[in-house]
Amino acid sequence: MNGVQLHQVLEKNIGLLIFGILFVSAIGGLVQVLPSLFQESLKTASPNTKVYSPLELVGRDVYIREGCSTCHSQQIRPLVAEVERYGTYSRAGEFVYDRPFLWGSKRTGPDLHRIGGKYSNEWHRIHFINPRDVVHNSIMPAYPWLAERAANQDGDIKNKLHVLVKLGHPYTDDDIESSGSMLEGQSELDALIAYMQVLGTAYAKGDQ
Amino acid sequence: MSDPAKKLSVEIYSDRVVTTLVMFSVIWAVIGMLAGVYVAAEMVWPALNFDQSWLSFGRLRTFHTNVVIFGFGVSALMGTAYYSVQRTSHVRLYASNLAWFTCWAWQIAILAGGISLLMGLTTSKEYAELEWPFDIAITLVWVCFAIVFFGTIAKRRIKQIYISNWFYGGLIIVIAMLHIVNNLALPVTLTKSYSLYAGAQDAIVQWWYGHNAVGFLLTGGFLGMMYYFLPKQAERPIWSYKLSIVAFWAFTYSYIWAGPHHLHFNAIPEWVQNLGMVMSLVLLAPSWASMVNGIMTVSSAWEKLRSDPSLKFIVLALAFYGLATFEGPMLAIKSVNIISHFTEWTIGHVHSGALGWNAMITYGTFYFLVPRLVGGNLYSVKLANLHFWLALAGTILYIVALWGAGVSQGVLWLSLDDLGELRYSFNEVMAAMKPYYLLRLVAGILFFIGTLLMIYNFSKTIVGRRTIAVRPPIESLAVA
Amino acid sequence: MKSAFSPRLILRLLFQPNNVFKELAELKPSSIAVFFKVALWFGVLPPLFAYIGASKFGWRLGTVEPLSLQKEILLSISVAYFIALLFGFISTVIVSRWMATTYGARQSLGIHFAMITVVGAPLAVGSIVHLYPDVFINILVLIPALLWSMYLLYRGLPIVLHITPERGMLMSSSLIGYLLVAFVSLLGITVFLWINGIGPLMGV
Repeated sequence: MNGVQLHQVLEKNIGLLIFGILFVSAIGGLVQVLPSLFQESLKTASPNTKVYSPLELVGRDVYIREGCSTCHSQQIRPLVAEVERYGTYSRAGEFVYDRPFLWGSKRTGPDLHRIGGKYSNEWHRIHFINPRDVVHNSIMPAYPWLAERAANQDGDIKNKLHVLVKLGHPYTDDDIESSGSMLEGQSELDALIAYMQVLGTAYAKGDQ
Repeated sequence: MSDPAKKLSVEIYSDRVVTTLVMFSVIWAVIGMLAGVYVAAEMVWPALNFDQSWLSFGRLRTFHTNVVIFGFGVSALMGTAYYSVQRTSHVRLYASNLAWFTCWAWQIAILAGGISLLMGLTTSKEYAELEWPFDIAITLVWVCFAIVFFGTIAKRRIKQIYISNWFYGGLIIVIAMLHIVNNLALPVTLTKSYSLYAGAQDAIVQWWYGHNAVGFLLTGGFLGMMYYFLPKQAERPIWSYKLSIVAFWAFTYSYIWAGPHHLHFNAIPEWVQNLGMVMSLVLLAPSWASMVNGIMTVSSAWEKLRSDPSLKFIVLALAFYGLATFEGPMLAIKSVNIISHFTEWTIGHVHSGALGWNAMITYGTFYFLVPRLVGGNLYSVKLANLHFWLALAGTILYIVALWGAGVSQGVLWLSLDDLGELRYSFNEVMAAMKPYYLLRLVAGILFFIGTLLMIYNFSKTIVGRRTIAVRPPIESLAVA
Repeated sequence: MKSAFSPRLILRLLFQPNNVFKELAELKPSSIAVFFKVALWFGVLPPLFAYIGASKFGWRLGTVEPLSLQKEILLSISVAYFIALLFGFISTVIVSRWMATTYGARQSLGIHFAMITVVGAPLAVGSIVHLYPDVFINILVLIPALLWSMYLLYRGLPIVLHITPERGMLMSSSLIGYLLVAFVSLLGITVFLWINGIGPLMGV
């Protein structure tokens, strides 16, 4: 039987066709994706990479909610100019507690992976309320509502931490117990700023 | 509801659901493209965000992508799949009530999903942003779609399964696999979940999904549309049957591997990046095989162009398909990617495919299909021709504007002076983009106006008419 | 022959394109004559203007400070630009001639040389904007030039190559498809050369 005749067998049998498609399309994922799910180096935290504190976690979830990764990347490539601009390049071990990853696909605004410590809390505060107050030609939207929402507005920080523990994050029972009180009196803006300030701090300034 | 066909037990094709899906597809096109024009305008005049959370770029952009892909795109694919699977099988849809369910359930899912995105309920994973309740709902609807589609093929009267059905089948099966695996997460609340995967592993899984959503939904599914509707319009068979076999299987095999080209020089293993690059280049061949098949088929049907505006759309759609499936592998080359990654070039590439290929092939198909569904003539051929030139102008202007922007961004970000210092601040480069953003906005408006002309044309064509009853060409009439 | 109306051809293309097309439809020019007497000189214009403009002003990509390149690199880039255009032109002619069989068009190689030269003329002339190498201004000027070229293609091809308007539309669209691919390849090759040292200094 030549190729065309063989194929006509497939064309007359919907079951075989379905199986054929599933089989052929699954191969790539099995070879390319599956091994990385078992690769230790991609799941091991680099030294100084810690879990996010409750406040930072809330901030990170605000970052996700507002779609910040639409315009900002968090991935410094090992290119001379990029390292000079943003700091040492990003390592896989820094992202093991990132669910989901926020590497982004676009730099309408600058990369944020090592923004931690680059600007003061006050700068961030003014910038988020209205970016054009500190960067006059910025096209970033303003986020004034963050200052008016409490960090624990949804009341679900304990649930969040429980779920993350299930996923393998090393929070202790004390961490979870005290999480509510750590958010008291804080706004979503405070949380987001806390997240900004921890980003990329696993590697200190000047590290290679 | 009195259905004369039911009384006589005469089998007719289930086409009213097709008309409904086509109608919804066009409505989502208008909504989704309006959102696109709005976010493009926000990039020029950020005051348009009006300090409102639901209008802000970060949320509205996600609304735009989801509505155009899953609203406009999937409705078009579902409608044309139902239309073509019946006619290539010479049999009425299996479980046509279930087909109606998929139609309405999908529209409700997109509407509710779109609103949820504006509310900020998002996973942030591209083209998989809808949170877990929607993921489950979509899966259920998709399973029903599979049942109707494959069920129809199972009870077909023509032994051989036509090629368009392989591509639509591939769409259904592969998207199901990708969707389920990539969206695995643990829920925290009804509106929030945490991804099963973290960091670099999540990146690899996400782009295995993301690239193949493009591959099997935006490319494969629409190739199914092309393989059915083009020969119908040209009134000629596909140019090469053998080529279509090779094209389909090579396509289904190679596309899956290309995902990591979204992650060049990122923190994933180098072998994964390189494999992604190589397979992206390999992918060029099966992609172009389908393009050649289409162009050679339509080339012999030139006399139809005189009266048929839809063929113009199909021809240019194939040309842009050729461009996009060439540019993709090119951008996947690491050296080129160094410049293009994170820039507007990527967006330009996306839209050469989305506007040039997806929208144009759908528009061409709809201009052919809508008059036939209601048994009348298109209200205005002139308007359709005007639409064509607007769509062509808008697409080319969009691509050229973002080529200029993207290449400039890439070069300027990496430029060093003689001392090895960065030459330009990020802010300087960002400011340089403004004129390109304005050009792109004009391009989008042109394209959008064309789409408005089309929805007007279709509503005038459909008004006062109903979907006509068409019988499959079978020997005997079934009697109750 | 083609050479008889070289400079006037362009002017006439602007005001009486249809007459020019009708004349071409009657001609059977020689490929060599078209290439060496007309096409080659049009092809030299863009790299020449680009070299002059870039060495005098430096390339502006929208920022206040322009990118300037050393003279040797500038020369290499201009030469590469010329070679790319040459390759693009010849390949388009060959592709057009190859498509002629499918679309029932005239097969004479010379007429395809003439056709593509005519279609490319607005862009070649428009490249005078390279004398001030600001990318955005270039795009603003070259887009209308591109639209004019596309108009000449769609309008002129069926007349010059003796086919019906509908077949001409299909063939023109196929050529546009080829040209889009050729242009994006030019972008890709350019970027590749830059990354590998022939271009502005970048930290990669």
